[in-house]
Amino acid sequence: MGEIWNGFVQALKLIVHFDPYVMRITFFTLYICAIATGVGLLLGIPLGSSLALYRFRGRKLLVTLVNAGMGLPPVVVGLFVYLFLKRRGPLGFLNWLYTPKAMVTAEIVLAMPLIAGITMAALQNENPKIRLQARSLGAGEARSVLTLLRETRLSLVAAVIAGFGGIISEVGAAMMVGGNLLVNGEPYTRTLTTATVLEVSKGNSEMAIALGIILLAITVLLVWIMTLIQQGTLLSHPARVARNLLSRRRKEAPA
Amino acid sequence: MSGFLSIQGLKHFYGRRQVLDVESLEVGEGEILAVVGPNGSGKSTLLRLINLLEKPSSGEITYWNDSRLPDLRRSERKELSRQMAMIFQEPLLFKRSVRANIAYGLKVRRMDKVEREKRVDEMLDKLNLGELADHDAMTLSGGEAQKVTLGRAMVLRPRLLLMDEPLASLDVPSRKILRADVSRLVREMGVTAIYVTHDYHEVLEIADRLAVVIEGTLLQAGKPNEVFSRPVTEVVAEFLGAENLLEGEVVECREGMARIRVEGAELEALCGLHPGSRAKVLIHPEEVILLADTGDAGSARNRLPARVTGVKVLGALVKVGLECGFPLVAYITRASQEEMGIEPGRKLTAVIKATSIHVMPFTGVRS
Repeated sequence: MGEIWNGFVQALKLIVHFDPYVMRITFFTLYICAIATGVGLLLGIPLGSSLALYRFRGRKLLVTLVNAGMGLPPVVVGLFVYLFLKRRGPLGFLNWLYTPKAMVTAEIVLAMPLIAGITMAALQNENPKIRLQARSLGAGEARSVLTLLRETRLSLVAAVIAGFGGIISEVGAAMMVGGNLLVNGEPYTRTLTTATVLEVSKGNSEMAIALGIILLAITVLLVWIMTLIQQGTLLSHPARVARNLLSRRRKEAPA
Repeated sequence: MSGFLSIQGLKHFYGRRQVLDVESLEVGEGEILAVVGPNGSGKSTLLRLINLLEKPSSGEITYWNDSRLPDLRRSERKELSRQMAMIFQEPLLFKRSVRANIAYGLKVRRMDKVEREKRVDEMLDKLNLGELADHDAMTLSGGEAQKVTLGRAMVLRPRLLLMDEPLASLDVPSRKILRADVSRLVREMGVTAIYVTHDYHEVLEIADRLAVVIEGTLLQAGKPNEVFSRPVTEVVAEFLGAENLLEGEVVECREGMARIRVEGAELEALCGLHPGSRAKVLIHPEEVILLADTGDAGSARNRLPARVTGVKVLGALVKVGLECGFPLVAYITRASQEEMGIEPGRKLTAVIKATSIHVMPFTGVRS
């Protein structure tokens, strides 16, 4: 028990003093997750939308792949990305293995099906006549799909939460294709999860707990912010204040 | 009043199933055309085809600017679809404020913000929705929500407004309010409108013309009183709630005047059918005159001794059931009923003018 307590105290010291090593790993993790989630969104939302709204050859196969992809074990994803990127693999010429690019690739493979799957389910649950209504008011095809996506924004934020949460907490793929490397003392492919595994294996509990607390705090904070956005309380409050100010100004203007 | 929208030989299939067959239909500029028919008869499909939301299997639609479907270029299609607006049965509001909902179509058209706000404010005023402008559209009642959809469509100042059973999901008071709003706005703004409904009572007050579509086929179009008094087939008559629709046989026909045997009685009516033809005879209940004695009935050709079988008070009117060789229904005022002492069992004379009887060929098809 004493060890755990000491670990917490040490961990808090590392955090409060902005320990450079801990901070660099934290920012690197956020950087990798942000890029992977962003690309996952750019690919996953159009894919999920297409699967939900259009009928085309091969759609059923794609739906099956997306659904299967939502439950992919990170280690298996890591293994396949590794096999593709290793020196003699089909994409070995890229020389991406054990680089941040390889990590982002693996994380995209993990996040994209989650985002696509949730988007697809959300759009299929929405009344298809909303899109017809948008078109009948003059919206083109793309605008009508965007309108429908906006109607399902709660689910889309859930997709982002699922995608981001899935990749910030995984260790298997990041370890396998990133290698958990430090270059010149700087984290090159080391994330909060891979560093935690390393520190535990070295018996360095304080550092492992500090990294764990930060990982937990980041996850909780970001999911909380996204939940506020999802439930409309984060953005609607400032918007309401602005609206009230504007309407007060309008009323005062004629006087 | 013609040539605003013209439909010729329009057919539409879902797979092998034909869902629509409109040989010819014209809509005049500024008129309100009501398309009525039972549920699933293809009315909504007709609206979607006109609104370019679906491509017809065959046929032509010529629009007001002489653009003709199916030969529309992409730019023409876009231009045309922006001159139309459609209201669906469900309100289908977007999850945003009432104001943002009404502004949607204008935003799509990239209208300048100042002008857009002005147009939206005008529409909010016209529909008395000012107080709800900043409310979340998802919190509105059914009537308010459908009013917003009307505003959202009319703010676009469309050339053609398409309405797909807009009152169907509303209660009676809300229907009354919205129907008045639709009528007022459409007339005020000079918009041509096509109003689809399965309940023809809903549109009689506001429609300039009535088109009856049954099982995908346009059977009749014309002024509402023409369609009601002279339905082309028994199917149309039955759909329009004809009370006295009787089967008969033409006994004799001379110079357009026929004697028709209906069960145990004979009627004289205007008719072009050959002797021996089977026919459907429509007698409008409000055109049956009841006489307490054998007094003067003017020039009426049909005088039938009748016995009252039932009396039902329907507000200001009374529905009288009669037996005069065949069952007959007549509508009279409550004052007439009281004055004549009409009660079940009472004997009197039913008088029907030959011109009040509409004879249709018998098809044997029941709706």
